[in-house]
Amino acid sequence: MRKRRLWMAAALTFTVLLAGCGSKEEAVQTEAASTAAAAAEETEAADAKETEAAGEAVTLRVVLWDYSNTQYYKIMFEAFMAEYPNITIEPVEFSADEYDNVIVTQLSGKQNFDVVFTKNTPALSALIAQGHILALDDLIAADTEFDAAGYAGLMDEMALDGKTYALPFRYDNNLIFYNKDLFDAAGVEYPKDGMTMAEYHALAAQMTSGEGNEKVYGAHFHTWPSNIYEFPDRTEEFNMFEPDTYDSLISYYNEAIAMQDEGVIQDYGALKASNIHYSGVFYNQQAAMMQMGTWFINMLLENVQDFSWGVCTLPNDIGMVGENCIGGVTPVSIGAYGEHPEEAWQFIRYICGEEGAKVLAATGIVPGYSSDAIAEIYNSFPETYPNTPENLADYIICEKNVIEVPLNAHGKEVDTVFQEQHSAIMTKSVTVEEGIQQMKDRVNEILAAE
Amino acid sequence: MDKKSKSLTRRKTLVAYSFILPNLLGFFIFTFVPIVFSLLLSFCEWNSGGEIKFIGLDNFIRMFSKDNSFWIALKNTIYYTVVTVPVTLALALFLAILMNKPLKGRVFFRSVLFFPYVASLVAIAVVWMALFNPDRGPVNSILMAIGIENPPRWAASTTWAMPTIIGLTVWKGMGYYMIVYLAALQGVSRDLYEAASLDGATRWQQFVNITWPCVTPTTFYILMMLIVATFKSYDIMYITTQGGPGEATKVLAYHIYNTAFVSSQFGYASAIAMILLAMIVVITLIQFKFEKRFTSYL
Repeated sequence: MRKRRLWMAAALTFTVLLAGCGSKEEAVQTEAASTAAAAAEETEAADAKETEAAGEAVTLRVVLWDYSNTQYYKIMFEAFMAEYPNITIEPVEFSADEYDNVIVTQLSGKQNFDVVFTKNTPALSALIAQGHILALDDLIAADTEFDAAGYAGLMDEMALDGKTYALPFRYDNNLIFYNKDLFDAAGVEYPKDGMTMAEYHALAAQMTSGEGNEKVYGAHFHTWPSNIYEFPDRTEEFNMFEPDTYDSLISYYNEAIAMQDEGVIQDYGALKASNIHYSGVFYNQQAAMMQMGTWFINMLLENVQDFSWGVCTLPNDIGMVGENCIGGVTPVSIGAYGEHPEEAWQFIRYICGEEGAKVLAATGIVPGYSSDAIAEIYNSFPETYPNTPENLADYIICEKNVIEVPLNAHGKEVDTVFQEQHSAIMTKSVTVEEGIQQMKDRVNEILAAE
Repeated sequence: MDKKSKSLTRRKTLVAYSFILPNLLGFFIFTFVPIVFSLLLSFCEWNSGGEIKFIGLDNFIRMFSKDNSFWIALKNTIYYTVVTVPVTLALALFLAILMNKPLKGRVFFRSVLFFPYVASLVAIAVVWMALFNPDRGPVNSILMAIGIENPPRWAASTTWAMPTIIGLTVWKGMGYYMIVYLAALQGVSRDLYEAASLDGATRWQQFVNITWPCVTPTTFYILMMLIVATFKSYDIMYITTQGGPGEATKVLAYHIYNTAFVSSQFGYASAIAMILLAMIVVITLIQFKFEKRFTSYL
């Protein structure tokens, strides 16, 4: 009797264990199952080539997130299909939160996605390393009409080891957004481009008022590590893949911690624990200034009518005003297992070119492609939205576009280290110096593991 | 055994196998094969794209000699398990004994205690984190009201993040184990208690000599389930702290997830998974060895 119970218990344990390991195994499973499918696809691809030559209907599978609740995708895709009647776009949507990981799993299963959107450069680096996307160089070379200059240097950032893997669909600069009404009420001058960090701190202290639920914070730092490293990253004193440059973070971290201690910004730990989204803080006028990416322009246009807002460039300690932009790219690539790379190229060139850029810009989302027409759209916002600032284009189009996280095979691992160390520093679990030292040690270890 | 009865036995066996076959097939394809694949993968390097490259014991060497995060995660996993398991066990038993008494509103209290178990983890986690919000949470407001000037910063502190998560795990799980204990308690014969009280045994003596020995098989079952569950748990950390602040709540399963799906190092992640598997198997074997003495009177 006891023996049988023992066996039953053992079987139970094993099943529970296996269930736990399941999710990873399933990923692996799809790989095995799809090898056969890939072979079948090859023959299909050959068939497809023939139909293309005949100008027959082609369907492109486009993998992306937030499709169903984002209007501009639909506008763009429909405009494209109107121009290229033989091509049909079939969007494949995954949840935004786990998007990066889901597409790795999908592509490991050799899914025949023709066009792959990625959220940022670390995610793109991972797909390149895994061979899940195609190099675009041949397609670019064959296309005489393609205009790389429109991307103001961003195309160079889409290349790794001499090969280009994506077109920049969106590029976001990071700015200080401020609430003009709060500044007017306090009788304080609006923030200016190129403040020093100490000036920013002092201004935030001046703008902090009230207690408890009525408290208005002078500034707001969201919980991303980029909200600190962007400062020296913009001035090119910092590079995520060169640990020697990490000391440039120290003064910015010290200032941020001091602001936190004085109650000039909300506490990192409390924000993290209660999962507070930055948008509510600004919409509800609980912060006078907030550092955020230019996608916030789109959110403000759609959600804020009851106060006026403005923007200025990020503070820094070397006197840089507006020369450099700093931000991330939303890259669009061609899937390695797709069947119609040529049509996929036509599609990504369209949405990442002037036509797509106009649709994006009209919503306040900054496209990777810039031109006078795009600048015009930004500068005309006050006509439709009276609470928006004039000359927004000056903050969108810069002399130099610096990429937050350059393409690097270790992008995602290093990013994880930054997330962890940032939380340790901001919760004061370690001192700033200790935290930075650990950052250096851990990143050095990752980069050494070639 | 004559020929006829032999063939009958065989037929019966075949029928029995046909019943378990569908399940066994599913288990084999979706669980056993991937487990074996994962075992093989632990000796390889694979980023989900290109070639699977055999690298011998390199993954294990890296894990033990170079990967500091592995040791931190291992330490955190042990901390989490060693505290969560006895606390859940003790509370579940205590509550079960309480709920087994003819208490007014017993059904209501049982439901209240069971509720966190059936509620969604995400919802429970959000409520818990709101209660323990370091600045605005009711828990710290109460602590400050009773004169504690610097209450813990809970999930925002490396020291207190793990206890906060342990509290959440215990709260969520204890209702279920309480029900299991309740069932066991109701199986204990009333006669034993009556005889003991006639002999003048105190409540504590009754607990030590009657209740505890009678529920040991249940205790053993719960112990095993809890240890396995806590060892492989990562969902709670994923929802609440993402392993932070720093690496304070990074457990092995979370490290595996990060390595596999964030860093795309499936080979190395499989190696860590194998170590986790080995640890759980060893602990389970020790427990079974121990169980024989534990419940020898049965």
